[in-house]
Amino acid sequence: MSALLEIRDARRTFVTPEGGRLAALDGVSLDVSANEFVTLLGPSGCGKTTLLRAISGFETLDSGTMRLGGADLTGLPPFRRPVNTVFQSYALFGHMTVARNVGYALEVAGVAKAAREAEVAEALEKVGLAGLGARKPGQLSGGQRQRVALARAIIAKPQLLLLDEPLSALDRNLRQQMQLELKTLQHSLGIAFIFVTHDQEEALTMSDRIVVMRAGQIEQIGTPRDIYRHPKNRFVAEFIGETNLMPVTIDRVDGSEALARTAEGVELRLPASGRKPGEQVTAVLRPADFTLGASGIPATVSRAVYLGSDLYVFVQPKAGGPELRVIARDTAGVEAGATVHLSHDPARVHVLEAA
Amino acid sequence: MRNPVGWAALTAFSLAFFAFIYAPLFVIIGYSFNSNPVNMMIWEHFTFDWYTGLLGLSDRTTDVSNRAAYVESTDQMLAALRTSLTVALFTTTISTVIGTATAIALARYRFRMRGFYNGFLMLPMMMPDIVLGIGLLIFFVTIGMKLSMLTIIIGHCTFLTSYVFIIVQARIAGIDPALEEASADLGASEWVTLRKVLLPQLTPGILGGALLAFVISMDDLVITYFISGTGDTTLPVFIFGMIRRGVKPEINAIATLIILASVVIAALGLWLRSRKTD
Repeated sequence: MSALLEIRDARRTFVTPEGGRLAALDGVSLDVSANEFVTLLGPSGCGKTTLLRAISGFETLDSGTMRLGGADLTGLPPFRRPVNTVFQSYALFGHMTVARNVGYALEVAGVAKAAREAEVAEALEKVGLAGLGARKPGQLSGGQRQRVALARAIIAKPQLLLLDEPLSALDRNLRQQMQLELKTLQHSLGIAFIFVTHDQEEALTMSDRIVVMRAGQIEQIGTPRDIYRHPKNRFVAEFIGETNLMPVTIDRVDGSEALARTAEGVELRLPASGRKPGEQVTAVLRPADFTLGASGIPATVSRAVYLGSDLYVFVQPKAGGPELRVIARDTAGVEAGATVHLSHDPARVHVLEAA
Repeated sequence: MRNPVGWAALTAFSLAFFAFIYAPLFVIIGYSFNSNPVNMMIWEHFTFDWYTGLLGLSDRTTDVSNRAAYVESTDQMLAALRTSLTVALFTTTISTVIGTATAIALARYRFRMRGFYNGFLMLPMMMPDIVLGIGLLIFFVTIGMKLSMLTIIIGHCTFLTSYVFIIVQARIAGIDPALEEASADLGASEWVTLRKVLLPQLTPGILGGALLAFVISMDDLVITYFISGTGDTTLPVFIFGMIRRGVKPEINAIATLIILASVVIAALGLWLRSRKTD
């Protein structure tokens, strides 16, 4: 199946106020399929917004190509591109009613008023704002404005919807609710979403695929599980979720398992997969990969944070070295100063090549 | 805890402040109804004579023996008022269009020397009126242009464009550029975006700028004094000419009428503003 959106070697350099050159996009290639939910994830300044703006046409590329449904987008102004955007600030037209905001794309395209009204009502219905068409945006709550922006962007049935951190202004509960709703909406509309965020939790919740970006380059593309369980490098491992990164040296290989040691002598078991003794690698363990039990790495609890059903525990291995972060079931006796033993399933340990 | 002495002092100060500002205006309004034709500071009795005289409805003037005084007070004044209104109407229209277009261009497009243009547009506002007036006069004489209503209009536009520009620019600075991007994103060309999104958003600023330009144009004396020809006198220049031959009661009546017109225009402006921001 050919991709809906094909980006090949996109490059864009900005001149900084100091006269330096900043590569916002440094050779980005990406395919997005029809009906796919792709998230561009990265710290601020990684180029994710520039990439989004290049797709919508507000930013031009220095080099590289972009094709949508097989058609070249180069040189096409924003108003001729069959993509729509949900802006971070929502960008609602304050002097128009909600209904006129939502129907703006049809109004501009010259659709007759009667036909427009039916579609506006339908779009408002889809985002759960039926009956609020006569209001002005200023009379709506933040969450409602967000929905108006969404309805306005989907009314023209674009092949691709771009969302620029649209949930960042909402409070946590509303954000989580909108995450699920967006995902549902995307499925029912059957159009591709490209969603920009710096919130890794948001990315993990909604995406079919996550594109992790840094300094204008793509670090890794994969499903949320892929990215979380098998980060390609330190940056991805640290950016997505809490991580324990442990530089270790392979001690010996025992069939399918290898025994490795940190410089301080903390012992870890990891998948053998062709490792040789003496090799230096980095073991990646998520906090939930450790279990607290009767045997394993002896460690002292330095701090335990109560999370409800779980405990978030900071432990200091007795052998020394950096603190480890562990998520464990809430157990009596796990408190600052207590001695615990950490065990882990070797199969859950992800290994990065470089130490 | 509120300090009663301090509070009383503050109240007294505020009242004195407003009295200081408005007393001269009320004095003029009061004098305009005083029937004493020789010394307006001595109250005789209440009269509408100066108003009816101004409007040519009665023939009582300060100089009864000389019917020419009636002509000066009425026909010439009405002609001056007509000139003022015509000039204000044209300059308001021209400077509003140019000032608005300039503000949009400087705020939304990137080109060389933007900062320089920005500063350059403020300059006519900072320039002393007398310098601008002399400069314009010398310029018109140099290029051989006869002083007329046209030169007044051109002269007013040179500095009123700056006023409109500054007011519209302040408004445009508060408008999220994403609004125009959203419009383009939804399929609107630049022209449609200007018409449906940017101009409606700018309306309060444009109206405010236009109103200010109108009032300043109506009010300007110094610059107009230099660049008005003998035939076309504006109201301020006309009043200035009358005062040189002594302050007559008619002047108080004119001033009162102007105050009334200003209040009406200002109220209209405030009403338009409040309607826009609901």
